[in-house]
Amino acid sequence: MTSRINPLLILFAVLVYIFLMGPLIIVLGASVSDTTYLTFPPQGFSLRWFENIFAISAFKRTIITSLELAFLATGLALLVGIPAAYALNRYRIKLPSWLSTVFVLPILVPEIVLGFSLLKSVAVGMQTPIFLTLLVGHMLLVLPYCVRVVSASLASFDFSIEEAAVSLGSPPLKTFFTIVLPNVRSGVIAAFILAFITSINDVSTSLFLTGPGVSTLPIQILAHVEQFFDPTIASVSVLLMLLTVAVMAIVERTLGLTFLAK
Amino acid sequence: MTQALTVQNLTAHYGATKVLEDLSLSVGKGELVSLLGASGCGKTTTLRLIAGFLEPTSGSIRLGDKDLTRLPAYKRDIGLVFQNYALFPHLSVLDNVGFGLKQRGVAPADREKRAKAMLERVGLAQLADRLPGALSGGQKQRVALARALVIEPPLLMFDEPLSNLDAKLRVDMRVEIRQLQRANGTTSVYVTHDQEEAFSISDRVAIMNAGRIMQFDTPETLYQRPANAFVARFVGFENLIPMKAVARDGATVTAEAAGGARLKLSQERFGEIADSFVLATRADGLAVSTDAKDEGIPATLGLRTYLGRAYQYQADSAAGQLIANGSLSAPLEPGAEAKLMPVPDQCCVLKPE
Amino acid sequence: MKASKPRKAVNPGAARPRQLEENFMLKRFAGWWLAGPATLAVLVFLILPVAATIATTFGDDGGIFAPYIAFFNSGFRRAVLWRTIEISLATTAISLVVGFLTAYVVSKSPGKLKSLLIIAAVFPLLTGVVVRSFAWLIILGKNGILNNFLVGIGAISEPLSMLYTQGSVIVAMVYLFVPLMILTLVGVLENIPDDIVQASSSLGATPAATFRQVILPLAVPGLIVGAVLVFTGSFTAYATPQLLGGERQMVMGTLMYQRAMVSFDWVGASTIAAIMVVITVTVVLAMSRVARRLNPMAT
Repeated sequence: MTSRINPLLILFAVLVYIFLMGPLIIVLGASVSDTTYLTFPPQGFSLRWFENIFAISAFKRTIITSLELAFLATGLALLVGIPAAYALNRYRIKLPSWLSTVFVLPILVPEIVLGFSLLKSVAVGMQTPIFLTLLVGHMLLVLPYCVRVVSASLASFDFSIEEAAVSLGSPPLKTFFTIVLPNVRSGVIAAFILAFITSINDVSTSLFLTGPGVSTLPIQILAHVEQFFDPTIASVSVLLMLLTVAVMAIVERTLGLTFLAK
Repeated sequence: MTQALTVQNLTAHYGATKVLEDLSLSVGKGELVSLLGASGCGKTTTLRLIAGFLEPTSGSIRLGDKDLTRLPAYKRDIGLVFQNYALFPHLSVLDNVGFGLKQRGVAPADREKRAKAMLERVGLAQLADRLPGALSGGQKQRVALARALVIEPPLLMFDEPLSNLDAKLRVDMRVEIRQLQRANGTTSVYVTHDQEEAFSISDRVAIMNAGRIMQFDTPETLYQRPANAFVARFVGFENLIPMKAVARDGATVTAEAAGGARLKLSQERFGEIADSFVLATRADGLAVSTDAKDEGIPATLGLRTYLGRAYQYQADSAAGQLIANGSLSAPLEPGAEAKLMPVPDQCCVLKPE
Repeated sequence: MKASKPRKAVNPGAARPRQLEENFMLKRFAGWWLAGPATLAVLVFLILPVAATIATTFGDDGGIFAPYIAFFNSGFRRAVLWRTIEISLATTAISLVVGFLTAYVVSKSPGKLKSLLIIAAVFPLLTGVVVRSFAWLIILGKNGILNNFLVGIGAISEPLSMLYTQGSVIVAMVYLFVPLMILTLVGVLENIPDDIVQASSSLGATPAATFRQVILPLAVPGLIVGAVLVFTGSFTAYATPQLLGGERQMVMGTLMYQRAMVSFDWVGASTIAAIMVVITVTVVLAMSRVARRLNPMAT
């Protein structure tokens, strides 16, 4: 399709993309500026603000916490989410239809409300440690993504392939790992990435669940900005952008970048 | 003939709906039996019960001297060919064929040798390293067949294996399937909704309807001697004329159709005739006569179509709409009055429905 | 489903009744066994706590609706609610227009460029809310880049105070949600079959007429989906209004945090949470109904 588009529209789209990219480039520039205040274009070039991240123990701590949380929450969500997605597709007729609605409901609950409710019911109500409460919150935050993305992948899986394997003598559990899972691989990878990124970047759910000594990186950034306005935050932001780049590179390697277009 | 597969009094439900009722079926060693019927008749359910993907409410399934009824599907040792081939998309053609051998603990070298030999037999040796996605429909079907045959199963089952292929390929493939099945002497159950396919490929055919077998016989018998009105209609008997015997004179029965037309039928030629029966014929089994003296069912001829070997008439009679074939030498115009006469060897006398 | 250990089938007769029982239980409830843990997690850690939060807002000493009456009696909180609605509506409207026009250009771009444009929209989407909001803090601040630039070129003599205004919150929110809108709408536009568009031109419609009379109506369901995502997202946002609006532009999210963690007024915070849930649910349900009714491709 090469039907011509109004040049004004094209100009508009170019401006929109400048609008989208500009602020991120500015953050990148500000992070390497050799000044004690945030400025763009950068004056001089220095990586000292990156070094400064690791000099501040709160950042070091929360980076580790955030990574732990993201891996654990995503892993747990996949652990219970993949079987659920499988069941929802494989036993569609046998299971009641409200069951799949359970995994849509979380969309109707604002994340900030989830965080606050978990604070009241779990953190205070059950006196759970902070990290555990955060883990529950993040797991719940990403579980619906996991179920829905893997489910979408399974929806186009032909279960007679599974039956073929069983008829050839492969036991059910073995069949799941050797036949079903390899064929929904892209869905599982996509779910993992989506969940991981959602967890790492989350503010609204974590907001109420962090506490003395245990916080996540985005919450720590918010707290830091209230007090200091130096390029450290820009450097941390760049680190997070690098993470995004890494994630997109993984997607490119494993699924091809066209996958992102979907 | 020794029985390889014996299905006894099988009943199955989907939830509260009964989908199979008291079905019994036995298949001899080396025999190919088709289950034939419209969708929803229970033929696929029967296959899935035998394969172990469904559990029967009651009844039993035996293969040789092994009771399969409650055995998990993966222990049943049945070769299956699926409608959509169900090849493993992530495995090469060779690995697809070798999959069943692997489950049986066959050593890799031997596995590869046997899978290759089987691919050779279906003419796909050169595609061994391809992924299934790169194959045509016919090739996929051959791989599926090879995959099911290589485990040398005591029973091979086909679920509408040809319905995704085009007409020409369908005919070629069914010949190929039959040849392979014959050569291996594999006992087979073949599910299809295509009558021509079932009749051409099978030793015996079970015609199914509403979860029951209506008739289980050789294709020849089914075609010529349907046992009931359902099967008669299914195998193409267009005319089913309800009649009553009004007089008996030795072997000859005088029967009356609706509207009062009377026919003299010889029990020697039509078989035993009850007091109330259905006379079933194909269009070829009703001769068209304009001779007033002939004894037949009076009818007004309607639309005439040309069949090549005959003219076919849609005819209106007091006994209902009938279809009859008339000779090519004397075409008749719509509106003509004629007598329709049953041809003894081409008619069946059936119980009323 | 269970991987029954390859029990030696030497004596199937003896093993049968037991195995039958096992298989029966496992198969009949296989779906439940597998879906159970995830379902339970959502029920116990999401539905129940949220329900409990909402429940605490009723049956107060002052009557069943007392917290709500208190909320709506407070001029300040009413103002926060209206401000949040205003900001969300503005963000949604701007994102819709900007997103749709951009998505149209993207969907018409040749292959390579198109994937590049899509990646360029995915990148900010995957970059966190905090980072993206912080970027605007640098730009809009009193000594920010925009002020420095404007002073530098002599357009203004004094730096403007752009931060902590409704405008700054809206700009950052639009920035937050435009990529989402573009990606949603590119998907929708790509699903419009080319032959429909060709049919329209063959009948004499100009590109503009085709756009307005064919493409736009077909994109309506996607526009509604996008609008719902943006509206609910901005209505319940926290980080962006906190950074760019601060105390001066308090919205529902920041007010809720303030009630809960600064004033320790948990009933008040729960009331705000309940109002958020009610509005989110209402908008989602109402709009999905509208979308279904307006979907021209529905049969």
